[in-house]
Amino acid sequence: MVALEDLKQEAKNVLEGGTVKYIIGYKKPAVGFMAVPAFFHKPEDLDALVWDPTCVHNLVLFLKDEKKKKLGQKEPDERPVGIVVKGCDSRAVNVLLQENYIDRENVYILGVSCGKTGMVDLKKVRKYFKGKIISQIDFNENESFTVTTTEGKVEVPAADIFAVRCTECITASPVIHDVLLGGDSVRTPENPFGSLEEMESKSQGQKWDFWQEQLTKCIRCYACRSICPMCYCDECVVDTINFAVYPDTPAEEKAQKIKWVEKSPTTSENFIYHMVRAIHLAGRCVDCAECERACPMDIPLRFLNKKLEKESKKLFDYDVGYDTEIPSLISSFRDEDPEDFIR
Amino acid sequence: MTEEFEPKIVAFLCKWCSSAGSDLAGVSRMEYPSNVIPIQVLCSGSVSPLYILSAFNKGADGVLVSGCHPGDCHYIKGNYYSRRRIALLKELLNFIGLEPERFKMSWVSAAEGTKYTEVIKEFVDELKPLGAQTKLRRNG
Ligand code: SF4
Ligand code: SF4
Ligand code: FES
Repeated sequence: MVALEDLKQEAKNVLEGGTVKYIIGYKKPAVGFMAVPAFFHKPEDLDALVWDPTCVHNLVLFLKDEKKKKLGQKEPDERPVGIVVKGCDSRAVNVLLQENYIDRENVYILGVSCGKTGMVDLKKVRKYFKGKIISQIDFNENESFTVTTTEGKVEVPAADIFAVRCTECITASPVIHDVLLGGDSVRTPENPFGSLEEMESKSQGQKWDFWQEQLTKCIRCYACRSICPMCYCDECVVDTINFAVYPDTPAEEKAQKIKWVEKSPTTSENFIYHMVRAIHLAGRCVDCAECERACPMDIPLRFLNKKLEKESKKLFDYDVGYDTEIPSLISSFRDEDPEDFIR
Repeated sequence: MTEEFEPKIVAFLCKWCSSAGSDLAGVSRMEYPSNVIPIQVLCSGSVSPLYILSAFNKGADGVLVSGCHPGDCHYIKGNYYSRRRIALLKELLNFIGLEPERFKMSWVSAAEGTKYTEVIKEFVDELKPLGAQTKLRRNG
């Protein structure tokens, strides 16, 4: 288990020494109990740093902002950014490194292990503690959490309030780090793709009915895209507004820009958007499930990404975010790639 | 009597093999169904999944991607990349409930005019009982 004091000390060491320019971590929220992302610029600020099972955010997202900010600066501060990462988040760092989006010297990685459990699922917590006011949730050495409410502390079995993705997680400790807190945690979940099975066993008609109902709800707010650390393109193919248009771009040229997807949130257009999103994340998604958490319409987005993760493993034996030296899933092939579906 | 449903197929054919194969079928006056809207692409490796989705979106009842046999791609490796990408898209479309029969890939060389006609015949036969593709089609 990670001792918070150790994490603070490690963070202080690098911030005080000027090794990093700032640290991205978590702090307590102003309201509620779910930790929020925080940026620590001064060593004394680090007293507010927290690490607990409510640190759900994948902070790797903010490395995109950092990169964009630096691109706009004449003399950017070249020191690395300190970042607190969980197992899944660390694989996101690896994917960004593999794609040469960031360099290893851009980040100082403070790895924290989730030990035997992982992150809580806010919806499950709310359901479990109907109406009770929670102030804190803590890790335990065993497979449980300690939840502090106004009525006192209770120990809750992890399985009851745990995020589904964490039950399917294989590496609950960072695979890349400069310091590692809480030790290694390699796990062997019985069925790392178990959550997909119910859906896969449905008939085509039932699958369609399910997705039609789900994706019709989408309002195309693009929160799922904004929160994803992997969605870093400057121009998104579904968002023609983003294509570079200059004051002198002629009208004909603007009219010729291909509009692959209409902006209106109708079922057919939503499907195209979500299929494109899923495909563009194939071999890149680390299953941090941030997209699903950010979605205001409660769409089970994780399924789509998880399905492609499963197929990448099954068909191409490809694991996401472990090896930064191999070519990415889509830009490589093996002679023995399956082709039984080809006539 | 009701008229038989005639599926509309969008076929992405690579210029160097499959498109030449379809030309051979044409110039040899082989008979095959006229349900295909061929789109010539430089290589099967240049077919983005978005092309395929877009074809369904714009009303295709079936989509075919066809390229050179493994080892024969004019750009050496394009069809290997394509094979991988298409396998993933196929799984994804299957997962959301599109009939898997609606999306096909084939290897057709420039000499395989006959094979090209067979692929199209089979595809049409498979698509007919399914009726029109409305799931991914844009309304209006
Ligand atoms: S976050 Fe949800 S509602 Fe918003 S675009 Fe994504 S799926 Fe649609
Ligand atoms: S697609 Fe969702 S789960 Fe995957 S990396 Fe992006 S935010 Fe995380
Ligand atoms: S040129 Fe035919 S598949 Fe590449």
